[in-house]
Amino acid sequence: MAFLELQNVTKTFGDHTAVNAINLTVQKGEFVSLLGPSGCGKTTTLQMIAGFVPLTKGIIRLDGRDLSNVKPAERGLGIVFQSYALFPHMTAAQNVAFGLEMRSIPRSDRDQRVRDALALVGLAGYEERFPRRMSGGQQQRVALARALVIRPQILLLDEPLSNLDAKLREEMQIELRQIQRNLGTTTILVTHDQHEAMALSDRIVVMNKGDIEQIGSPQDTYHSPASAFVATFLGKTNAFEGEVQVAQGGISRIIVGDHVYTASAHIKGPVIISVRPERISFAKAGLRGTVCTRIFRGNHWLFQIKTIAGVATVIRQNDGTSMPEEGHDVHLVWREEDTFVRANSKVG
Amino acid sequence: MSKNGFISLLFHTLFVTFMLAPIIVVCLVAFTPEGYLSLPTNGFSLRWFKAIGRYPEFIRAFWVSIGLGALSSTIVLAFAVPAALGLARYQFRGRDALSALLLSPLMIPHVVLGIAFLRFFTQFGLSGTFAALLIAHIVVIFPFALRLTLSSATGMDRSIEQAAISLGARDWVVFRRVTLPLIMPGLISGWALAFIQSFDEVTMTVFLAAPGTETLPVRMFLYIQDNIDPLVTSVSASVIAITVLALIILDRMFGLEHVLTGHSDRTK
Repeated sequence: MAFLELQNVTKTFGDHTAVNAINLTVQKGEFVSLLGPSGCGKTTTLQMIAGFVPLTKGIIRLDGRDLSNVKPAERGLGIVFQSYALFPHMTAAQNVAFGLEMRSIPRSDRDQRVRDALALVGLAGYEERFPRRMSGGQQQRVALARALVIRPQILLLDEPLSNLDAKLREEMQIELRQIQRNLGTTTILVTHDQHEAMALSDRIVVMNKGDIEQIGSPQDTYHSPASAFVATFLGKTNAFEGEVQVAQGGISRIIVGDHVYTASAHIKGPVIISVRPERISFAKAGLRGTVCTRIFRGNHWLFQIKTIAGVATVIRQNDGTSMPEEGHDVHLVWREEDTFVRANSKVG
Repeated sequence: MSKNGFISLLFHTLFVTFMLAPIIVVCLVAFTPEGYLSLPTNGFSLRWFKAIGRYPEFIRAFWVSIGLGALSSTIVLAFAVPAALGLARYQFRGRDALSALLLSPLMIPHVVLGIAFLRFFTQFGLSGTFAALLIAHIVVIFPFALRLTLSSATGMDRSIEQAAISLGARDWVVFRRVTLPLIMPGLISGWALAFIQSFDEVTMTVFLAAPGTETLPVRMFLYIQDNIDPLVTSVSASVIAITVLALIILDRMFGLEHVLTGHSDRTK
C-alpha cells in the first residue's frame, strides 16, 4: 500500500491554478523528486504536504490517514528549507534539540540523539557553534540533522542544495543519498535541477504549469520522455524537423533532411524527431553536415554540426579514436529506439 | 579621510554644529556662577545643580516622566507586536486602512490632540489624572513603536517559523521561542523610541497635566514662564547626561546601530 498518497490534489490562488488535480503515490523508503521550472507548482505541492498551504480540492493521505485535519505541527514531517531556516539565536545543538524538546524527550536521551544526528551529517564537534559562524554547507547539514533527528515519517527537501556552489552541491548530493539510503527515510525533494533529481531519486515527477508531465525512474524519464517538455527539460536534446511517410504494408519512412530510414512510426506527416546528443554517431552515410565547432571537454568531445535539418549537437566519448575536425563533412546516424517522434504542429 | 569634497565637508560641519550648538550652550550655561543666563566666563560653579534640590517639584516631575514613559511604552508594545505581526503577514480587506489608522496620530498636530483630549477627559471626569496622561501618551507614541516593530516583523524569514512548526511546536511556543527572539531588536528599539517620544512630549501634555501629574518638560515649561534663571539649564544638562548614559549602556548591550534601525545581524 502506498505510504503517501496524493489524490486529485488541486490548489488555486484566485483564478490561477498552481497545482492542477495531481495524483501521486509514494512508497515507504522511496526517494521521489518533484522536478520542474519555477512556477510549475512543485513547491506549492510540498507546502500542501507539509500543511502550510491548505488544499483547494483533493486528499492527501499519509499511511492511510487523511491529513486534512492534521495540523502541520502534528504531521511529524522533517523539512529542510532552501534558506535553511535555522534558528539564528540558538547553537547547532540547540537547533537540532528543538524538535526533541517539543516531543518531551528526556534530557540525557536528547543529548545523545543530538550528538548522533550531528555526527551523522559530519558535524561532530560543532555543537556549540551559532549558525552565523558556519558556512552555507555546514548550515545545510545542521538543517538536515534537525529534520532527521525527530525520525520523521517523511523528509521534505525544498531546493536544499541550490544555495551551495557546484562542487559542494555534488558532495552533498552523494552524502544526502547515502544518508537517505542508510536511514530508509521516505524523502520528497523539490528541485529545478535535473542533474540533482536524476542523481538522487528513485523516481522523478516532472511537473509543468501545475500538471504532472511524467512519473518514472531517472532512466525512464531521460530515455523515454513522455512529452516534448520532458525531453527538453531533462538534459539537452536535438530536435530535427522531418517527415513521416507511410508506404504500403504499414512500413513508414522517416525523412530528415537528406537522411531517409524506415521506422515504425505511429503518426505521419511533418514531425519533430528528438535525439540525445550522446546517441548520435558518425557514419559513412546518414544526415550530412559540416562540423562548425569542436570543443574538447576532457572525457568527451562536443560538436556543433550544421545540417539541412538544423544545427545538431553531438557528444562523443573520448575513447581514443580520431574525431572529425572543424570544417569537415560528416554523416550523422542514430538508432530508432533512441528517438522521440512527435507531430510538428508548426507545419502541420 | 577627506574623500568628501569641500562643499560637502562644509555642509556636514555646519549641520553638526547647528544640531549640537544649542545642546552645548545649554550645558555650558548650566555651570554659570551668575544669577542670570550667561556663559560661565568667571569660573565654573555647581550652584544651579545644587539649586535643583530646593525644587522638589522638579524631582517629582522627573519621576512622573520616567514612570509615564516606561509604562506607556510597555503597554504600547503589547499592542504593537500583534498589530505588526498581523500587518506584516496577512493580506486582508482593510489592511491599508488599518495601517493608516494606527499611524494617524503622527499626522495630527499635538496641540489639536491636547485640546481634544482635555475636552474628552473632562467629560469623563478623568482630567488631570495620571490615567488620562497615560491614555493620551499611548495614542501619541503608538505609531513610533509600530513602525520599528513592523520593520523587524516584515524582515523576518517566515520559513524559520515554519521550521519550528514542522518540528512540533505549538503556536504559543513558536511565538515565545522563535518569533519573539527574532523580532527582539525591533521591540527594544521600538520601546526606546516610544519612551523618548513620551519623555519629550510637551505640547499635548501641557493641556492634560495637573499639579502632581506634571511631567518634567511641562514643569520646565511652566517654570520659564515665570522665571528666567539658569535653573532650567542645569535641569536640562542633567537630563542630557542621563540620556547620554542610557545610550552608552544601550550601545554596550545591544549595539546602537541595531537598536536605532530595528534590525539585527542575527536574522541575516
